[in-house]
Amino acid sequence: MKTRSIRFRLTAWYAGLLGAILVLFGIFIYFTLDRFLEAGLRDTLAKEAQTIGETLLHDVVQNGDDYVVDEIEEHFAPRIMGRFVRVTRPDGTVLYQSGAPHSGQFDPVAVTVQQPEAFPSWREEHLPTGGELLVYGVPYVERTGTKYLIEAGAPHEQVERVLHGLVLSLGIALPVIVAIAIGGGYVFMRNALKPLDEVATTAERITSRNLNERVPISPTGDELEKLSVSLNRMMARLEESFHHINRFSADASHEIRTPLAIIRGELEDAFQSPHVSPELKQTIGSALEETERLSRIVEQLLEMSRLEAGETLFERSRFDFAELTKATVDQLRPLAEDKKLKLSVDVGKPVEIEADPIRVKQIVVNLVDNAIKYTSAGGSISVSALPVGRMAILEVADTGIGIPEEALSQIFDRFYRVDKGRSRQLGGTGLGLAIVKSICAAYGGTVTVKSAEGQGAVFRVELPLASS
Amino acid sequence: MRLLVVEDEEKLAQLVKRALAAERFSVDVAHDGRTGLQLATDYDYDLIILDLLLPALDGTELLRRVRRSRPSVPVLILTARDAVADKVTHFEAGADDYLTKPFAMAELLVRVKSLLRRTTGTRENVLRVADLELDRLTQQVRRAGRRIDLTAKEYGLLEYLMANSDRVLSRSMILDHVWDQGFQGATNIVDVYVRHLRDKISDMEQKLIRTVRGVGYVISDEDPA
Repeated sequence: MKTRSIRFRLTAWYAGLLGAILVLFGIFIYFTLDRFLEAGLRDTLAKEAQTIGETLLHDVVQNGDDYVVDEIEEHFAPRIMGRFVRVTRPDGTVLYQSGAPHSGQFDPVAVTVQQPEAFPSWREEHLPTGGELLVYGVPYVERTGTKYLIEAGAPHEQVERVLHGLVLSLGIALPVIVAIAIGGGYVFMRNALKPLDEVATTAERITSRNLNERVPISPTGDELEKLSVSLNRMMARLEESFHHINRFSADASHEIRTPLAIIRGELEDAFQSPHVSPELKQTIGSALEETERLSRIVEQLLEMSRLEAGETLFERSRFDFAELTKATVDQLRPLAEDKKLKLSVDVGKPVEIEADPIRVKQIVVNLVDNAIKYTSAGGSISVSALPVGRMAILEVADTGIGIPEEALSQIFDRFYRVDKGRSRQLGGTGLGLAIVKSICAAYGGTVTVKSAEGQGAVFRVELPLASS
Repeated sequence: MRLLVVEDEEKLAQLVKRALAAERFSVDVAHDGRTGLQLATDYDYDLIILDLLLPALDGTELLRRVRRSRPSVPVLILTARDAVADKVTHFEAGADDYLTKPFAMAELLVRVKSLLRRTTGTRENVLRVADLELDRLTQQVRRAGRRIDLTAKEYGLLEYLMANSDRVLSRSMILDHVWDQGFQGATNIVDVYVRHLRDKISDMEQKLIRTVRGVGYVISDEDPA
């Protein structure tokens, strides 16, 4: 599970929030219920005491003490109800005292004897078993003027037991509720965010070569649909400007070609003329040389814009990259021999790839030709083409002048030259490596370089193997 | 032989006309598609050189219409458009060859001659420059009667030079014709092969292959002026 995913974070937030709310709610219920039960208990006790006074003690002189005792036992059944009831005479003797309750929560005899007072009062007796006995005492003056004290009590534990039950059920219910919320929330979020995953997958796949692709739109009318639509609009704009740039460089190349053809024709014409002096001929020759280089630059720029426009998608065939590499290196061998360089090629089993062989050959030619150009006599160049994993790896390693570190990152840029004078002298267009990069990218591959100044260079091309 | 050049760039048309005239062809020039079509249907040309982006009637349409009345006249397309799709379209429409601007005039002449040879069916089997002799049937090369062994590339290079003797051929033309595609990056390989070839045909005594600075190479028995 990705802990940074929105799905995870939102679910965690919701679960946390829900848990916190439930805990607060539980605390609120606890205290409310506590107060409510306490009030209810007090109310009951007060009514009990009052009822005893008004209905039983009222006529105690006529009915006798025993009547009162019997009536209390019959009406209130204190032992069964777990209640404490006591009626005390003014002289401190007890008229009635409830027996020990069945629950055994308290011992009525142990409850301190009080003198009747003028006002009703509440007190809490500490029980030896722990907990408290809530006692309500109310003075009652019967008809003859005798002042009795009626006490009604109940252990606090009755309230606490209910509260305990509440805490217990909340303690069980809360984690269960939160767990259900997490599970449900996670599933719900996953479904809700699923289109996002699809959008991401598509967006990931889109490069300059398949800008015509669009992310899927689920017509839900929600924010995700809005996002997909916006993304698609953005890609449409990108596609348009990309095409615009490509069309521009293609058009520009075309527009340059005709005047270039005329310049070249005129120069060639002048060159053939018998009236031209040898000095002028040399000048014309030099101009022709530059014209040819300019033509090559235009050619290569156009080639690159075509590669980037994805034209290569239609020119693919399956061939053995190792064989092509070996054949190409052998064709270039005279160049190496001419410079007294050792040129070795290491190919083994066939390396099948799917691409345009002419363009792939261009990769080999450009890299090996560069290696030959930048390695001085006596040096060596080794070329290998081998399958590694799911890629075909071409390596061209030389013992040449190498590339300074600050140039490494720019070496594949168009028109970048490490040593401006030298490269131009060697007749380069400044586009050779840029083309290699474009071709690699067009067929889903990469090109990288490792080098240090004065220590040679290793160019490494990776192209995907043909699926078998 | 009579050739038609349909090209709207007047300067370029004149250059092409002059170069072809120097080879003793008679050349008509049309600057727009409609005139071009008129001429092409009225006269029986031996070859048509056709630009594609033309005013009045574009080259592709012109080619289709010409093919209806003259199915066999060789047509060489001369254009700044060189996307593969364009080439395929025009070969399908009946073009015989395709040359992209900017081009070397020598290249145009080579192609024109080769197209004319294809239709007239003439091809010399033995090429000669001074005392150097190349037999296309046996692929043997002799200098002053002495046999010279050449590798396949050296032979190809020499044949291309000799078939176009007295004409300066640029390095990229040589690469295009003698090497396979994908070699445009390495023009100096031509220099190396020319040097090998010179060694083998003992070119030191009487120089046949000359380097023309900035342009390329030419084989000729004339001494340079």
